[in-house]
Amino acid sequence: MNKYLGNKPALALFLLPALLLYSVILIYPVLQSVVRSFYDWDGLSTATFAGLSNYRELFGDPLLATSLKNGGLFALVLAVFQIGLGTILALVCANPKVRGRKLLKTAYFIPVVLSVTVVCQLWIAMYDPTNGLVNKLFDVLGIPYQQNWLVSPTQSIIAIAFVNAWQFMGYQFSLLYAGVKAVPEDYFEAATIDGCGKWRAHWHVTLPLMRETFKFCFTIAITSGIGAFVQMLIMTNGGPGTTNYTLTFMIYRYAFMESNYGYACAVSVLLVMISLVATVVINKVFDRGQHA
Amino acid sequence: MNNQRKRLSAIMITLSMTLVLSACGGGNTASNNNPAADTAAEGGAVKLKVYAQHFDDDTKGPFDYAVAELQKEMPEVEIELDPAVQDGNQKLKTYAATGNMPDIYFTDWATLQTFAKSKNVEVLDDYEATTDYKNSLNPGVESRLIAPDGHVYAYPDTGIEFQVIYYNKTIFEELSIATPIKTYDELAAAAGKLKEAGYVPMSIFAKEKWITSAFYNGLVTREEAAGFGALDEQGLAELPQSFVTAAQQLEKLQQAGLFDANATNTNYDQASSQFYQGRAGMFVNGQWEIYSSAEKLGDQVDWMYWPAKDEATYEASKYNIAGAGSPQGYAVSPASDNKETAVKVAAFLAAKSAEYKYTQLGSPIVSPKTDKPIASDVPVMMQRIADELLPNAKEYAKLLSNTQIQNAINDNTQNMLVDGFTAEDFVTNLNRTLSKENQ
Repeated sequence: MNKYLGNKPALALFLLPALLLYSVILIYPVLQSVVRSFYDWDGLSTATFAGLSNYRELFGDPLLATSLKNGGLFALVLAVFQIGLGTILALVCANPKVRGRKLLKTAYFIPVVLSVTVVCQLWIAMYDPTNGLVNKLFDVLGIPYQQNWLVSPTQSIIAIAFVNAWQFMGYQFSLLYAGVKAVPEDYFEAATIDGCGKWRAHWHVTLPLMRETFKFCFTIAITSGIGAFVQMLIMTNGGPGTTNYTLTFMIYRYAFMESNYGYACAVSVLLVMISLVATVVINKVFDRGQHA
Repeated sequence: MNNQRKRLSAIMITLSMTLVLSACGGGNTASNNNPAADTAAEGGAVKLKVYAQHFDDDTKGPFDYAVAELQKEMPEVEIELDPAVQDGNQKLKTYAATGNMPDIYFTDWATLQTFAKSKNVEVLDDYEATTDYKNSLNPGVESRLIAPDGHVYAYPDTGIEFQVIYYNKTIFEELSIATPIKTYDELAAAAGKLKEAGYVPMSIFAKEKWITSAFYNGLVTREEAAGFGALDEQGLAELPQSFVTAAQQLEKLQQAGLFDANATNTNYDQASSQFYQGRAGMFVNGQWEIYSSAEKLGDQVDWMYWPAKDEATYEASKYNIAGAGSPQGYAVSPASDNKETAVKVAAFLAAKSAEYKYTQLGSPIVSPKTDKPIASDVPVMMQRIADELLPNAKEYAKLLSNTQIQNAINDNTQNMLVDGFTAEDFVTNLNRTLSKENQ
């Protein structure tokens, strides 16, 4: 093995294609976005250097506050729903005594393979204030809670986030299920022999041992929430007005609707920075006390 | 060691040769860009790539007719169609960014402005075809051809389009709602009656922001004939009173229940089917909807002028047209190998497309005049526009070129259709944008 790893030219030769591809499709565009964020540029004409003016304008832009708030809410809904419910379902499906586990596992994953457009259209119909299933359900249950889900400036972002959470919960579930199955059963059995109840044993044994899985799941959920876009575009087109805007929607607006690519690059840089910070924080939180 | 050096040298030489040869090959494109190489001028066949809308009967009909006419007039020209996609001109912008512009393309004013800055559109001012086109224009549509900066970038086919309010005559008669509605108080009262009877008073596809903006413009133009164009003025940091009044009127109409609660989430198909299935009393759209509405509802449907604050204002302003003429149409790429021919063909395609709309569809909303007779089976509503509105048109709204102000109007007029968003919020938001953009 050492003989192979010691052959540095061979290593470089095998790594180079992947490294080149990664640099061309990821590193180079990111660096270009950073550079372009300091320019006044319409995407076609020669760019003119604008210093920090795009960033100064960005921090005074009222859309930024809306987008950050919506991104935060979206991430929160994804984290709570996908990881919370996904964990419970993963623990249930990992229990050999539960009947129909295969069917449940397949059922949870079905929405993931559906097209986002199809899922959004489905939920648009379900959220319809007059004939939609959601309001009808409240009506049938006798709960006086008739809402105009996609029009309300306060509720619509949560309603849309829920659609994303519902669709991709199966993906998080599969990761969490794999995490549960990776925990040696001996630990769980030892805890139950020591008198621990089933859920208490999961709380004290299974979940702490799934730290790495949770770290990955939270990173996906939070960064997806911060950069959410497609559901808003399809379901409300960012409206009413700009109430459902996120940072990615801002990028779309400034780049493609206003041809203000320099400013859109500044928003992109901010989005990347926030996602990086979120990833670092999640890693720090989950690594805390691990090696103590 | 010597062998290794030889091999290395051979590889280096091969690579260098490859690069040099590729560079020579690339030079072909540059030499083809020479304007002198206009094949048509030399009498040979010319192939022109045209990027134009060609996806339904409304877009295929005029284009195919124009191309067929071109074959008679300029048989040496072969048209290669590149069908435009509904993507906000992103495909066209990608062509521009990668240096692959088609010879002729159909686009709007927002894109023409960007292309003018980046020199991706030929300035047509000095071409003979432009002089001829200017001379052939219908009165009042000059703003369709001549841009606010005084240049000509594209040859338009349609005239200045505008929005009207359509209404279902049967429903109005059934509920004894007098027509035409002249004031916005009458419109609010009609909304109440329609709502009470279980109809959607006004169907609107407000998921698209431009239509809420057009509705607001309809109200604005009753007192400010220039419409949104009045906001494109250096130093103007606050909404003029006519705009504030229109915002207050829109708020009252919303509160009176004129629009469906789910209006901002309703698309064109949903809104039009509400109207055509007799579930809505009124519908707002451009004059181009006349053909569909006549086909679906026959003589049950008619259009009305925009209401004003009182009858006197209504009478004084009913011929103010709630539509602004922005330059758009067939433009030419400066990089075309056959630029001279492309300019002539662009003007020809635009003129013939207009001719089709006039002679086959009976639309009087075209930019160039045509010497052929108008179609005989023109819908009654379109005939009204031709006989009653166009000859009496007092003033067309002016173009608002500032995209940021336009986007702010789009966002905030859509918000006006939602409970809780007030005219005061509207004015505050617009004032913030105006003070930033017009400083």
